[in-house]
Amino acid sequence: MSRPAAAPKIVVSHVSRQFPAEDAERGLALQDINVTIMPNEFVAIVGRSGCGKTTLLNLIAGLLRPTEGEVRIDGRLVQGPGPDRGMVFQNSALFPWLTAIENVEFGPRNLGVPADRRRALARELIDLVRLRGFESRYPRELSGGMKQRVAIARALATDPEILLMDEPFGALDELTRAEMQEELLRIWEARRKTVVFVTHSIMEAIYLSDRVIVLSPHPGRVRKDVPISLPRPRQRSSGAFMAYYEEIHGSIF
Amino acid sequence: MAVSSRPQPLGHSRGWERVVGVVTIAALLATWELAGRAGRLSSYHFPRPSRLLATIWDLVAIGFPVGVTVWQHVGATVARIVQGYALAAALAIPLGLVVGGIPALDRACAPVITFARSVATISLLPLAVAWFGVGELSRVLLIAYGCFWVILTNVVEGVKSADPDLIRAGRVLGATPRQVFTRVVLPASTPRIFAGMKVALGLAFMVIVGVEMIGTIKGLGALIMEARTFYRSDAAMVGMVFIALFGFALSRLLDRLERRLLPWSAGVEEAER
Amino acid sequence: MTARSSPRDVWASWSGVLVVLGVWQAIATLRLINPVIFPGPVDVVWAALTLAPPGRVLAHVHSSLVRIVWGFSLGAGLGVLIGVTSGWYRRLGSVLRAPIELLRPIPPLAWIPLAIIWFGLGEPSKVFIICLGAFFPVVTNAYKGVIGIDPDLFRAAQTLGVRGWRLLLRVALPAVLPDVATGVRVGWSLSFGALVAAELIAADRGLGFMIMNARELGQISVIMYGIIVIGALNFLTDWVIREALFKRRLRWHFAS
Repeated sequence: MSRPAAAPKIVVSHVSRQFPAEDAERGLALQDINVTIMPNEFVAIVGRSGCGKTTLLNLIAGLLRPTEGEVRIDGRLVQGPGPDRGMVFQNSALFPWLTAIENVEFGPRNLGVPADRRRALARELIDLVRLRGFESRYPRELSGGMKQRVAIARALATDPEILLMDEPFGALDELTRAEMQEELLRIWEARRKTVVFVTHSIMEAIYLSDRVIVLSPHPGRVRKDVPISLPRPRQRSSGAFMAYYEEIHGSIF
Repeated sequence: MAVSSRPQPLGHSRGWERVVGVVTIAALLATWELAGRAGRLSSYHFPRPSRLLATIWDLVAIGFPVGVTVWQHVGATVARIVQGYALAAALAIPLGLVVGGIPALDRACAPVITFARSVATISLLPLAVAWFGVGELSRVLLIAYGCFWVILTNVVEGVKSADPDLIRAGRVLGATPRQVFTRVVLPASTPRIFAGMKVALGLAFMVIVGVEMIGTIKGLGALIMEARTFYRSDAAMVGMVFIALFGFALSRLLDRLERRLLPWSAGVEEAER
Repeated sequence: MTARSSPRDVWASWSGVLVVLGVWQAIATLRLINPVIFPGPVDVVWAALTLAPPGRVLAHVHSSLVRIVWGFSLGAGLGVLIGVTSGWYRRLGSVLRAPIELLRPIPPLAWIPLAIIWFGLGEPSKVFIICLGAFFPVVTNAYKGVIGIDPDLFRAAQTLGVRGWRLLLRVALPAVLPDVATGVRVGWSLSFGALVAAELIAADRGLGFMIMNARELGQISVIMYGIIVIGALNFLTDWVIREALFKRRLRWHFAS
């Protein structure tokens, strides 16, 4: 799925990340990582726990800085987090003191968008994630799946070109998870974002993404980079799907 | 440094924090001492640390008021707390188990308990003095009163909040209703009971100081009050230090006891005050 | 206490109070204990009408309330300020927290003698003691609250364009409110105890003075009345705090 004509969206070059000595468990989390992600591409990152998946995501988000190497977005060096990269966390990280719609408005409010415009924008996004009627619920009054819908809407509210997702469906039950995967693909197709999706589920990675990057742990390195050339909607039980599964599973274990 | 997420993750270990703490305290004491020597701090209002050290020695060797050493003060205070606390626990725990186990009784008692807890124990002092005189009985009963309601509330809550799944599990495993109470509900409520006991001990410390301020010269509360009467701010401060040390030691003891008795419990943060 | 209760529940919850009042009155009526030292509820009501008329009691309530509002606001305000600051700036925090942790185990009442030495017998010494009652629980809860905030909330805010001290304003402060509220309630009850003690020991007005004075006059029924007023005032103010803070402002955190 590489489109050599277009300029890459995200370039991670020769990135290593060393954690301080006290953090011995993580130590050298990433070593010499090179990843290039094209615009509108949906890339999944899989690997065992402790392989630095989340660290890589945090580096792209600008929440962490690389010890060596650099991360560039549209050719510009990442200096810190910014509203051009939306992020969705495993446990939603919604602000519990804000209602669903206020959570969605949080980003635009920081950017100084006037109240009526951001309210209209938030309503539109609430509709996009199909939560109409739940706008004024607090996070604790929402189910796990609904919280993640709000979290996605919140991340989209600053209209970022990149969506960084850290095991967003990891805490959901099987049925909700499948439903959210469909929702995510629908939103991705509607909004054309570049998505980096961290997961520990190989099935989820193959089902969703254009490319699966496999990381190996201690230190975290890119072990494999597998383009998934299956038409959507994908059939989880198809032979081609299972072949990808075998390939990726084999490279992890 | 623009990228660090707030608040800063604990880059420094607890050991480091402890060192900073000790250095801070030492610096404060040194400043206090030097300011006192330079005559910048009134020696009546802020007696110097070196003076306090001398006072500690006085209290141990000679006593204040003369003849009552610090050990006698501590002994008197401990005796009162232990008696009042034990009395409260002995009454409140059985009663709480009954009240918590019978919903109708719980409803009937709830307003009484709530109001009795709202009554500041120290406000009962004049009444206790009128009824029982200024002797030991008043003091012990007041400590018992304060502790009683706190322990009672937490026992009742503990019994009521026993996990329904545990009760179901007990019944499925063939326990009779009585066995469910003694073998499931009771053990399940012990962490909460313990939490209440800890809060009650803190309260006993509040109350003891108040009730010792009247009608006695023995006890740590009496010590600091006497110190004021004789314009001995140094003795008052030393008395406060002893109260703090002693309170700290007792709460540590209770923590240890809890870990010993309830090794399976993670401890309960929530406790009604 | 529960959200909605049937008439039967209401009856059940009042039955306990009635039993207590009944037994109390019975002891007094049957003169089981010398009625001079053990007056019954009727005597207390009588005292409330004659010996301590509402006008005078209200004046005492007013003095007490003014003291506690001053002391408590000062203590809770300082507690939030120092607690949040020391949780946010960790290095400064470990300096600030050392003396606080050292002084924390001293019960507020134990400061009474020193407060009198420092500030004399007037209002400042009482305000100081009440202030200490509120300060320690609030500062501890605020600090622990800031430390315990989910770091993902800060990360989320950063990816949504919040930087620097705005993180404190927009994320840390709202996130820490429930902990502060818990500290405020504990602090209020400690402040209240400190208020009564301070008024018992050294005051010429206020509810504590009223009952101490009644003891000197041998008016047991007034003492009982005073105790009930103190209890009611504590209950009522605590209820107001709970309603205002927990049910309204913090509906997002506490059970609705």
